[in-house]
Amino acid sequence: MMWPFDGSIGGPVESLWLALYLASFALHAVLVSCVAAGAGYALVAAVRRSADPIAARTRDWLPFLLGAGITAGVGPLLFLQLLYQRRFYTANLLMGPRWGAVVPALIAGFYALYLAKASERRRRLALGVATACFAFVAWSWTELHQVMLDDAGWRAMYAAGERFHTDAAILPRLAIWSGAMLALFAAVSAWPATAAERRRLAGLALAGLLLCGAASAIAAARGGGLALAHDPAHGWTSLLIAAAVIAALAWAWTAHRPGGRGLSIATAATAAALIAGSVVREAPRLALIERARATAVDAGGLPVFAVTLAIGIAAIAWVVRTARSAA
Amino acid sequence: MSPIDSTIPYYPVNDFGPLMKGLVIGGVGILHVFLAQFAIGGGMLMWYFERLGQRGEPDARTFVDGYFKVLVLVSFVVGALTGVAMWFTTIQVGARTIGLMIDEFHWLWATEWVWFAVEITAGYAFYRHGPRLAGRARLRLLALYALASWMSLFWINGILAWQLTPGRWLDGGGVWAGFFNPSFAPSLLFRTAVSTTLGALVGCIVINAMDLPRERRAALIRRAARFAAPIAAMPVLALWFLAVLPADSRSWLLGGSMAMTMFVGVAAGASFLIGGYAIVGLIVQRLYINGATATLLLGLAFGATAAGEFVREGARKPYTVRGVLYSTSIRPAEVAALRASGATAGDPYPLHDRYPTEQLARGAKVERALCDACHTLHGANALVELTRTWTDDQLRLNLAKLQRTKGFMPPFAGNAEDVEAVVQLLRWERDGRPATPAAAPASPETLAQIARWLDEAGTEPAGDPPGRVPGRVQ
Repeated sequence: MMWPFDGSIGGPVESLWLALYLASFALHAVLVSCVAAGAGYALVAAVRRSADPIAARTRDWLPFLLGAGITAGVGPLLFLQLLYQRRFYTANLLMGPRWGAVVPALIAGFYALYLAKASERRRRLALGVATACFAFVAWSWTELHQVMLDDAGWRAMYAAGERFHTDAAILPRLAIWSGAMLALFAAVSAWPATAAERRRLAGLALAGLLLCGAASAIAAARGGGLALAHDPAHGWTSLLIAAAVIAALAWAWTAHRPGGRGLSIATAATAAALIAGSVVREAPRLALIERARATAVDAGGLPVFAVTLAIGIAAIAWVVRTARSAA
Repeated sequence: MSPIDSTIPYYPVNDFGPLMKGLVIGGVGILHVFLAQFAIGGGMLMWYFERLGQRGEPDARTFVDGYFKVLVLVSFVVGALTGVAMWFTTIQVGARTIGLMIDEFHWLWATEWVWFAVEITAGYAFYRHGPRLAGRARLRLLALYALASWMSLFWINGILAWQLTPGRWLDGGGVWAGFFNPSFAPSLLFRTAVSTTLGALVGCIVINAMDLPRERRAALIRRAARFAAPIAAMPVLALWFLAVLPADSRSWLLGGSMAMTMFVGVAAGASFLIGGYAIVGLIVQRLYINGATATLLLGLAFGATAAGEFVREGARKPYTVRGVLYSTSIRPAEVAALRASGATAGDPYPLHDRYPTEQLARGAKVERALCDACHTLHGANALVELTRTWTDDQLRLNLAKLQRTKGFMPPFAGNAEDVEAVVQLLRWERDGRPATPAAAPASPETLAQIARWLDEAGTEPAGDPPGRVPGRVQ
């Protein structure tokens, strides 16, 4: 079994929690990337008043993608509470109502997406509101992530009544995520696109990967350097970089020949980069995983979950097939 | 020591001003339950109307493809979001409670999540592609949506019911003994009846908004009204629910606590009115119901839901998980240790306010740790008002013997100095927070008396003793 799923963070149950956390997180990341980057893309198209078919398709799908993204987010939220319970709860409480504001922001974003879909007159305003809401949520999650890590600063944050955590790492992290979101959005949106649209999306993906790389380099430099020879994520960083480079080359090929196999390679490489990136993102805080509580380790119900998961995947596959037959 | 290392988890506490924390979680919870239950009943109703449409009632098909499906869509999306909000607000009120629920039931919660994902996918696929699908596919899609949404209820119901009646789980029976606990079945059936009734009432409102002649609307209303029929079973289900409650919880609902009894009355009265109208008026006499009346009944249903959720939350006292975790987020086994060390010896978080004496500051920390989950000082359920007329000794006695003072209060989890500090804090707050507190330090005799009262009260709750919880849990 590969690190970190080889029992190095605890027993087999913890490894399973971690694997499910990362898998559900990656799925959630794909969907919310399509929402955040898609809303931003549609907003730019609306501001430029361009009749962009990519923006039109994106607008059409955004409400569902948001619903699916939130639903997919419940999975990592669940496993996060098993792995980092005290840190997660403390960070929630320290940020308090300001953290809770992500829920009304998501509700406002959801209805703004419907408005953008239904009303051409209010489209720019609605997409602006939605993009702002999603940017706020992304900022809040990044902030929460940093608060979870900073147990040395909890007492002072509480004493000062601070609801914001102005950590220098937040902006680079957000920049990395913004780049990744553009690349993921492009990979998903390119499949139903025409040749000309694929060229545009290839440009978007390359810009995203470039932003991701530059922001990662800055973050690594600030953190004291990231030597590949001493990969702190046991090879996952190397895999991430290799996958990102392959994705960039494949996107360049797609821009040159939109009908070729470049898109398949770019999509596969982006998926590999996402999985590797999820592990690399997690690696620095694996040491902080809390000693598993006996109640949680001994809890029953795994076989029922496994069977239900199989049924659920089959049911969703049937729904998708049925929906496609109508499309 | 880092806050992460303390044996008993201390979490930062947020102040919601005059709002009792229970009101915050109650507000979000009631909205969530109402929307989620409507989404379940609405899904079932859509399947039924689709079937009617395919059997030759074109208006039923118009209903399914009209405004109603938008309402169901809105409900399940906002239901999903308020579900996440429930997690966040529960953390605000009792982080240890939600942590214990996650620890014990994470695989079942993950199972519920899978069903919820199926529900969202099927619901949205019908919303988006339904008009272009063949009849059989439409029916199957709606059946899948209805099944998945009800399964979501099935799983979450078991976890919530476990908080109130953990049953054989307390004797080490494991996750399934906890899930299929004594109140699981009545609660599930009760919520299912509420769901179908809500679907019927919203259906009646939407039918009234349809551009159809009155007699055709009446025909649809008669069909929709059938979904309100399960409300007839509610009295029996409510009695079943009451019968499986622990004796002390039942006694508070039936007169022991006036507030809870009143909420039982509100829930029962509102349900009786809705049920009476639905059964006698709509089903037996086949009366027409206009949009205004249906909206009024839906408002009553919201009131009944709100009261019912209050009752469910209140009946758990003094626990959040019966026999395992008090509403103070302290385990029964930890009370004795806190009596020795003091309630806040390990609390790493400082106070926000400044206090003129160390004793008052200690009182504020103890109040924050032991009282703040259910009380405020001056707002809702205000400690200062509850104790305003008590003498100092009466206050000392009542705090030290807290679980004897009120059966639904947990035992005081602190020492004599903590009791005295809270007494002085309440007096100081009552007197308008004077710059120079009037109280002199408590005499050794007073502290000794408080210690005797604490010993006499013991560390056990007033009702049933904590369950023989598996050692691993304690």
